Amino acid sequence: MSTDLSKVRNIGISAHIDSGKTTLTERVLFYTDRIHAIHEVRGKDGVGATMDSMELERERGITIASAATHVEWKDFHINIIDTPGHVDFTIEVERSLRVLDGAVLILCAVAGVQSQSITVDRQMKRYKVPRIAFVNKCDRSGANPFRVTEGLIEKLGHNAVMMQLPIGLEADHEGLVDLVTMKAIYFDGENGETMREEEIPASLMPEAETRREMMLDAVSMFSDELMEAMIEDAVTEEMIHSAVRAGTLSRDLTPVFMGSAYKNRGVQPLLNAVLAYLPEPREVQNEGIRLEKGKDDETFVVSNDPEDSTIALAFKLEDGQYGQLTYIRIYQGGMSKGDTIKNNRTGQKVKVGRLVRMHSDKMQDIERAEAGDIVALFGIDCASGDTFTSLDLDASMASMHVPDPVISLSVKPIDKKAQDNMSKALGRFTREDPTFRVSVDDETGDTIVHGMGELHLDVYIERMKREYKAEVEVSPPQVSYREALSKPVAFDYTHKKQTGGSGQYAKMQGILEPLAEGEFEFVNEVRGGNIPSEFISAVEKGFKSALDKGPTIGAHVVGIKVVLQDGNSHAVDSSDNAFMTCARDAFRQFYPKGGPKVLEPLMLVSVETPREFQGEAMGTLMQRRAIVLGTTEDAGFVRIDAEVPLSEMFGYATVLRSVTQGKAGFTMEFKRYAPAPVAVADELKKEYQEKVKQGH
Amino acid sequence: MVYGKELNKRSPLRVFERSIHGGLGKGNIGVVTSRKGVGKTAMLIGVSLDDLLQDRKVLHVTVGGSVDNLSRFYEEIFRDLAASSKIEDLAETRLTMVSNRHLLAYRDGDFSVERIRKSMGFLAEHAAFEPYALILDGWPDFETVTEEDLAGLKKLAEDMQVEIWITALRHREGQERDERDVPVEVAAHDEHISVIVRLEPKADHVNLQIVKDHENEDLADMHLELDPKTLLLKWG
Repeated sequence: MSTDLSKVRNIGISAHIDSGKTTLTERVLFYTDRIHAIHEVRGKDGVGATMDSMELERERGITIASAATHVEWKDFHINIIDTPGHVDFTIEVERSLRVLDGAVLILCAVAGVQSQSITVDRQMKRYKVPRIAFVNKCDRSGANPFRVTEGLIEKLGHNAVMMQLPIGLEADHEGLVDLVTMKAIYFDGENGETMREEEIPASLMPEAETRREMMLDAVSMFSDELMEAMIEDAVTEEMIHSAVRAGTLSRDLTPVFMGSAYKNRGVQPLLNAVLAYLPEPREVQNEGIRLEKGKDDETFVVSNDPEDSTIALAFKLEDGQYGQLTYIRIYQGGMSKGDTIKNNRTGQKVKVGRLVRMHSDKMQDIERAEAGDIVALFGIDCASGDTFTSLDLDASMASMHVPDPVISLSVKPIDKKAQDNMSKALGRFTREDPTFRVSVDDETGDTIVHGMGELHLDVYIERMKREYKAEVEVSPPQVSYREALSKPVAFDYTHKKQTGGSGQYAKMQGILEPLAEGEFEFVNEVRGGNIPSEFISAVEKGFKSALDKGPTIGAHVVGIKVVLQDGNSHAVDSSDNAFMTCARDAFRQFYPKGGPKVLEPLMLVSVETPREFQGEAMGTLMQRRAIVLGTTEDAGFVRIDAEVPLSEMFGYATVLRSVTQGKAGFTMEFKRYAPAPVAVADELKKEYQEKVKQGH
Repeated sequence: MVYGKELNKRSPLRVFERSIHGGLGKGNIGVVTSRKGVGKTAMLIGVSLDDLLQDRKVLHVTVGGSVDNLSRFYEEIFRDLAASSKIEDLAETRLTMVSNRHLLAYRDGDFSVERIRKSMGFLAEHAAFEPYALILDGWPDFETVTEEDLAGLKKLAEDMQVEIWITALRHREGQERDERDVPVEVAAHDEHISVIVRLEPKADHVNLQIVKDHENEDLADMHLELDPKTLLLKWG
């Protein structure tokens, strides 16, 4: 492994599902000499593209989980983190964005900037990821990279600049004009592996010159040297490269490349652009959090220095043939086979047994890896998102935003064997994905799985069946509602029990208040020891435990602040237990007086439809209690953004398809919890009361 | 009502309304004019929020802009408004704002008054959305707009019974202005415009001056200011 960090790139390839991401990745792997045959996605040879290592992905032709792959190109080490395109797998996307330093945004030359690209772009902006764009499928009928570049500018607000020009489009697509070198490039050989440089065809020259001018004008904003050179007509290739690099790194410029991965055109120049314009690890600022006592969770910028204490983030787990494979990104220090490191969440010390570099599902053993690199550890038990450090460091990589699950369903194994397999599978999935959670309904004893959307849970149910042979019966999905107070309510409650033996006594007064942000807050204002301090934590625990199941609809209670103001105790009869019970009962008695309301998850839904189906698309939303936020009309297409309750979105894909003849698409992501309308809340209350009556 | 009667009464928009004799009024066009970056859009979002929180529907059209950006702008101004006017139930108030508002972006450069008319018809039919006010951002450019366009806009206001607010840019130099300091390109369409408001940046605030108030000769000097940080009308 080279320790020259200037020659390391950690990049993601991010795109809409059908823009050809997997095909492009496959070509990259081919050209970098790591695989010897190109398998098509949904190909005839039945092998499937190399990055989609899970069987299910092969079948669906989409990439679900991210896998990190190491390739070498011109002396550089590139780690490619394959990012999933479906919004239901947001946490996977966010995790990938966290560990990569730059990204290639792939766009389809025909479909252009689609709603999914908008979502992914929004996430990249959040994680401040520098991007270069690749307009793929230039060989397809209707391909128009110029329009796609316009889309990048207008829809995504990028300062997008074409670095190349297509030589022919659709069936006539032959090659590219490089606007930096002002040469035509063709791709020869069976798999386009030989690049041939020629003079620009005369017919294209005027346009090439105009486009180069446009490119230079945009790029020179990032380099005074280049600007001066333009005046003196002394522009060099190096000047352009360094200006493009500066603009890309500051995320003020998105250079646009193009080609057709399927037809093997444009991939090598894209790889060159990755080296030239995307950042090396030291050019990206990453933050860790100090965990030492007294440091109060202060943040620090990781050094990237291989000589420093080690800090690494586990961002992806995979269950391999030989045990758990843990993908890590090393931020500073290094790791060698045989080293002892510690997991900062559990405090556990672990020995680095095998250290491997991954090429999709094939691996190569290595002795050492250092800051800036992405590698995998073998046989280490941990959860995704854990931080590993050397023993002398108490720090963690800043945590990622993990949204609460919004949907659940119950799973019942059909027999004992399925039961065992299911537990194994669930254990694995919850460690892999923090948005996938498991609970047990304490009334019915059913296992409930929680996730971020229908497809999210579908995929896990499928994986359970395929990878773990766990046959399960599944209930229809349920929306995860919440309850919350709407106004403050004072409480005054005494718990007293005298049934022979030692009695129970606790008394407390205070206020339950709605909390604008956060789940739960406990404030102790008891003065003068009316409630002895040793019982205060029992009071807090008691209230907390009561929140699991609110009295209104049996849903989790959120956004509540408990202010404990006064109380009383008994020298003999007071205990932790008495105060816990007192708190729980006080909550049950007084919470209903605070006008509890039911909250439902709202999703941000974006529907994209040809204009002729705008009415139908709008109709499907209006029928679903949508609040339409806005519409965008653009060249025959309309995008409608709306907030829609999740409970109304089941089966929406089918409905939208049928009213728009399959021509409209939509994306959906969790937005927030909001009060449910009275009718919905009343219905839920009725259901819950029935359930309680029936003795559940 | 979440906005609260008390808050509503205290709003600087009431002073503004009184100054222009009860507001812009349905069927009328109002113009906010200022130099670039002084706060025309923010001021109009403030006007829009005032309507929205009184449960009046507003259609905000942007020509060339994006729904995302406009929505973010609203959120920012809403937060500032919430902070300065001490709105209590933020979630509920925000819901009132969002459900009364429709943002509409035309991104393909092919814009006409007729297109708004079509969109409004569409929204009325499919989303039961009939606005009280229409705010138009990014159009017209008074340097190129025709008499026909403005007459068409006025007719739209009358036919649809909406208040229409638009903006006009005043250049720093080289622009001819009439005696009211209104650019002559705007003044040329006086017959279609009912209210003209001029924003003037001062050292520590932005002054809001009414230069045309329907047919009234006697113009009110309302001492209304925009906060230079938030570009919102200052609460008294």
